Amino acid sequence: MVRTQQQRRIDSIIVNGLLIMICLISIFPVAYALSTSFKTQREVISKPPYLIPQNWSTDGYDQVLKSSLIRPHLLNTFINATGSSIIIVVLGVLAAYAFSRYKFPGNKLLQLVILGMIMIPTLTNLIALYRLGSQFDLLNTNIYMILIYVANGLPFGIWIIKAAIDAIPIEIEESARIDGCGPLQVIRYIILPLALPGLVTAFLMEFVFFWNEFLIAVVMLDNNNAKTATVGLLNFQNSYQTAYHVWMAGSVFIIAPVLITFFVLRRQFFRAMLQGAVKG
Amino acid sequence: MIAATTKKESRTAARFRLSWRSLVPFWLLLPSLIFLAVLQLYPVIYSLYISLHRLRAGQYMPVGFRNFERLFADTNFYEGLAVSFRFVGISLVLTIGIGMLVAVLLNQRSQFNALYMVLMFVPWVVSDVVAGTIWRWLFQQDYGIIQNMIQPLTGSTSLYAKPDGALLIVILATVWRGLPFTSLLFLGALQNVSTEVIESAALDGANRWKTFFRVTLPIIRPTLIVAVILTTIAGLNSVGVILTLTGNIPATQTVSVYLYEQGWQFGDFGLGAAISVVMFFINLGLTLVYLRFQRQD
Repeated sequence: MVRTQQQRRIDSIIVNGLLIMICLISIFPVAYALSTSFKTQREVISKPPYLIPQNWSTDGYDQVLKSSLIRPHLLNTFINATGSSIIIVVLGVLAAYAFSRYKFPGNKLLQLVILGMIMIPTLTNLIALYRLGSQFDLLNTNIYMILIYVANGLPFGIWIIKAAIDAIPIEIEESARIDGCGPLQVIRYIILPLALPGLVTAFLMEFVFFWNEFLIAVVMLDNNNAKTATVGLLNFQNSYQTAYHVWMAGSVFIIAPVLITFFVLRRQFFRAMLQGAVKG
Repeated sequence: MIAATTKKESRTAARFRLSWRSLVPFWLLLPSLIFLAVLQLYPVIYSLYISLHRLRAGQYMPVGFRNFERLFADTNFYEGLAVSFRFVGISLVLTIGIGMLVAVLLNQRSQFNALYMVLMFVPWVVSDVVAGTIWRWLFQQDYGIIQNMIQPLTGSTSLYAKPDGALLIVILATVWRGLPFTSLLFLGALQNVSTEVIESAALDGANRWKTFFRVTLPIIRPTLIVAVILTTIAGLNSVGVILTLTGNIPATQTVSVYLYEQGWQFGDFGLGAAISVVMFFINLGLTLVYLRFQRQD
């Protein structure tokens, strides 16, 4: 069944056409948000709406800079997301290495239990975590957010990092072990460089997730100084009711850092994912 | 004498190293296990405990199953469940279906794939709250750009103001965010299907549709099930998109939003904990059902 040249060309047009359409749908909302963020209040409430601002204005950004969205909210987001993602990757490497390389009783069972924790809905733990936080006076702190996020993201992190370590042939480690390297040295000098795409992938996924996390944050944080950007943006509903250009400018501020992070790390992320970082 | 001491010392050292070595995996796992035990397992048990108590406005006393009785007598709970299942069901079908289509298209390995994938992943980095905010703006009743485009279809009432319309916008925003990751999962699975299998099916005279459904799909079923589980859990827990898009209106009040309302707006934590326990079993039940599909062959 050899397909003719012409059939192939038609196939290619259909494939590329559909993919271009999906790309447009993917970026349109964000592109339009960017465009709206440069409109004036008057233009925001004009009918019919313009795709591109007629009078470019930075009013939206000025208003956001005057609000608490950047400081302290986005700064908190940065601290919580970065702190928790790094801790998850570090602890995840240690745990995944143990699961991947050591035989000990209960290894498989423990893996299954941790994997099962991915299925625990965040909602289930919220009230208990809130009570715990108020008992230990930890609500409205970055530390407590980071601790919760680490526990929340760790099962998924271990799962992805273990897949990356499993893919490294054990023979590479053996000569290092014969030379007297301890497990931490083996992890540092052999596992880290070889499993790097997997670690980057784990970091990126956790970072994106916790940068954007809302459910835990909205419940634990009611002090304005401790709130994160997603919670702060929700508060815009009260303070900037129809000032959509301000909402959109705020959204741009939240999206930009994480979009850049994604763009920098995308190659390793795509490679690891396509090689089956998240296994069935 | 000296030799004996050295020998003894080295024996202790060896024994020490041996016992330490056998505990190596334990030490490596310990930090993770502490985190998971204190902030994942304990809260689940604690939720169960709170659900058997009245915890409201400073009061804290055991009430047996009264919270569950109140919950099961509350029509809002059943309506919330119905909204949740509609929301999760429709977004699941769309995310998985379109995600698979996108993966198959990307698997044709167009020369522009790298560009397509970067553009497609933009929604993935967008927070649910931001997505809710942006989509609310797109469908804003008077000035929303998409609402203005679809005006002839919706008539005088905007889509946002129609009861099912609000839920539809929530679903669209959710699928928009969930699509890239699902597509990538599927693409990874498709690329690992050996071309020999596909070619031999083609030689047997199967057309492309038949090959896909009879040969490819069964091979990538494990990935399909992982995607279904992850999408379902994310959907059942979804609060951010809904709160920002529609606020708390009955048409989009899922169980998760209902829980948020009972716990943090009405301060009824006992009832909230009862809802969260029910949610836990719904999640567990669905996961077990999905996993059954994984095993049967």
